[in-house]
Amino acid sequence: MDNSATLEITIISAEDLRLSHRPLKKNAFVTVRSSTLNAGGASSTSLDRDGGSYPYWNEKLEVGLPSSARSISVEVRCKTGTGERLVAVAAIPVSDFCEPADYLHFLSYRLRERDGERNGIINLSLRMKGASPFGRRAERPPAAPPTTWARGEERRNHGVALGYPMDYGYRV
Amino acid sequence: MGGCFSDVNGGQAAVGVGSRGGLAGPPLEAAQQELNDAVDHFLHTHGLRGLYIPLELSLSASKLLDLDVLSKSDPMAVIYAKKLDGMLEELGRTEVIMNTLNPAWITKFTINYHFEMVQPLVFRVYDIDTKYHNTSVKMLKLNEQDYLGEASCALSEIVTKHERSLTLKLKYRNSPPAVHLGTITVHAEETVASRTAVEMIVRCCHLENKDVFSKSDPFIRISRVVESGISIPVCKTEVVNNNLNPVWKPITLTMQQFGSKENPLIIECFDFNANGKHALLGELQGSMAELEKLSREKIGAHFYVPSSVRQGHKKMLKGQLFVDKFCEKIQYSFLDYISNGFELNFMVAIDFTASNGNPRSPDSLHYIDPSGRLNSYQQAIVGVGEVLQFYDTDKRFPAWGFGGRMSDGSVSHCFNLNGSLDECEVVGVEGIMSSYAMALHNVILAGPTLFGPVINKAAAIASKSLSYSHNKYFVLLIITDGVITDAVETKDAIVKASDLPLSILIVGVGGADFKQMEILDADDGKRLESSTGRIATRDIVQFVPMWEMQGRQISIVQSLLEELPGQFLTYVRSRDIKPIFAHPAAASASQPN
Repeated sequence: MDNSATLEITIISAEDLRLSHRPLKKNAFVTVRSSTLNAGGASSTSLDRDGGSYPYWNEKLEVGLPSSARSISVEVRCKTGTGERLVAVAAIPVSDFCEPADYLHFLSYRLRERDGERNGIINLSLRMKGASPFGRRAERPPAAPPTTWARGEERRNHGVALGYPMDYGYRV
Repeated sequence: MGGCFSDVNGGQAAVGVGSRGGLAGPPLEAAQQELNDAVDHFLHTHGLRGLYIPLELSLSASKLLDLDVLSKSDPMAVIYAKKLDGMLEELGRTEVIMNTLNPAWITKFTINYHFEMVQPLVFRVYDIDTKYHNTSVKMLKLNEQDYLGEASCALSEIVTKHERSLTLKLKYRNSPPAVHLGTITVHAEETVASRTAVEMIVRCCHLENKDVFSKSDPFIRISRVVESGISIPVCKTEVVNNNLNPVWKPITLTMQQFGSKENPLIIECFDFNANGKHALLGELQGSMAELEKLSREKIGAHFYVPSSVRQGHKKMLKGQLFVDKFCEKIQYSFLDYISNGFELNFMVAIDFTASNGNPRSPDSLHYIDPSGRLNSYQQAIVGVGEVLQFYDTDKRFPAWGFGGRMSDGSVSHCFNLNGSLDECEVVGVEGIMSSYAMALHNVILAGPTLFGPVINKAAAIASKSLSYSHNKYFVLLIITDGVITDAVETKDAIVKASDLPLSILIVGVGGADFKQMEILDADDGKRLESSTGRIATRDIVQFVPMWEMQGRQISIVQSLLEELPGQFLTYVRSRDIKPIFAHPAAASASQPN
């Protein structure tokens, strides 16, 4: 993995977590993965003891971000008597934080269980270090709809494009 | 605000402990203070500065009427200013204190005392029904609550009283005072214009167990002893359930709250009880300086309880209070930033959709009256622009229109108001007004109403500025007559922009139903969620319908500035951005006294 950047992620807190439909009691922690293949691309916080279903960590993690990565995954897990359990996951698109360059982003995401059910919110801050932002910008597919506005000065009717689903018409 | 306590029972939430976690907004009373700052600055720059003293009012009541059958009332007080025409303007609400007939409220009110004016105040007390205890007090509908009585006085009556406390008998509206309704006491103090705040983490150990089936549910209340000997509660922490060695979330107390470092404070630890009868687990007296010493020497202080055997004696308990972290910090106000190198940049977007009506017809919202009478859009531009422009140093505003058909026949959802292809900026409010009038000639009203493109455009400018400057904050003003057709895209654009130095003010003109806008303005405590599952970092939208600005007693300036300073401060504080000229020496020198 050449040209990889480093991500500094501060996992601040999570809100309203549930485990088996009950408010989570304690021992929640967060694992951040930037790549499913590379074990070096994962890092975890310590256990939250007191926050219950509103855990608070404020813990800084560093993970490498391969240049091919399109998103990173943030998993809230919980240590129970019988082992570890996955509580909920959020996928963070790289486009949400790759620009402006070297900017500290404060981001929040809806967490979902494996079956898609909503389960709480995660709050984090994130800064990308290393890779040239321009290099990364050039690598992005040219037609990513939500970010076209940031790319240049297409004035006039650029907004109209927002109405057309670009390429996800066949899925679902 | 981020709805931090959305699942916490109202009575268990913290009051007056300051902002924390990086994502929550500033506390209510701080926001009130900053609103005051902003309005004050506005008046000042318009040469309207009168001679006045900012005062802080605290309220308490005794022997209130008991309306609950099985328990006591759950009182909340609302303070109003009586206008010249007899109308009442709400100045604020206290928190709800559960199950008591003798409440001492923590929430304070800042009010400017103009000595040359009579400032009549009205205080109303309500019993808040248990089913509303999870609702934020701001959202409570007062006509659904039980009315416990009211009292009125002039502000000068309080100020001229010895000890600056005035006790008034409660009465029912339009009837003489009745003994059985109890009294309300108002205490006034001059506000301390200081930026010093103390952040500390306190914990206790070996607290007494008061609960039968589980352990105690402790919380801390801190009160300040004022000159006359009475104590005024300034903050209470959240409740830590079932724990005899509790650690509370960090408490931030401002100098305004604790007075000076030597001012005696009373620190009480209670076992929370859902029926409001919180059992005292112990109390101690100490000043901020003594708390600092506890932290430095890593020692605990023992709690005491009044002795049951000998009057006036105290019994030392096993329970101790520790201060794990104690640090003084400077909290800068909105004005500190604005007057020290921080710049607000304004942007305007105007609705050119057909629902405004043909601009040539006098009933159109876009009709330009040859007599010079301003239409709704012009009123909004002038009213809002005049307030906003003085925060913007270069007075060059990007100005756009949306929902209009251009000369080439295409509908644009973000075109430059001045008709130029590459330059969107105009100069001054006059610039906006003339470009607006010109655009009405060149652009045909069309539709639909889309906010997404202008918000994205504004976000792109804010985002781009970050690559060369970290001391700019952007405010996009959208003036519109109607309901948006791109609710999902608008939400997505707002959520995406919530991480940028940007606020969005939406002014609604005309008589349309603006329900949808209220959702964008996340005032109900719910955070905005995008279609992709991203959630707004903070509230960046403020919506004000024009009819509300005209019809009610709130001025345009106040409605619009209500949330902007708070939104701005949430942004800079979460990033630990400081005003540019504030060296530690300069900051400490600027503290009065």
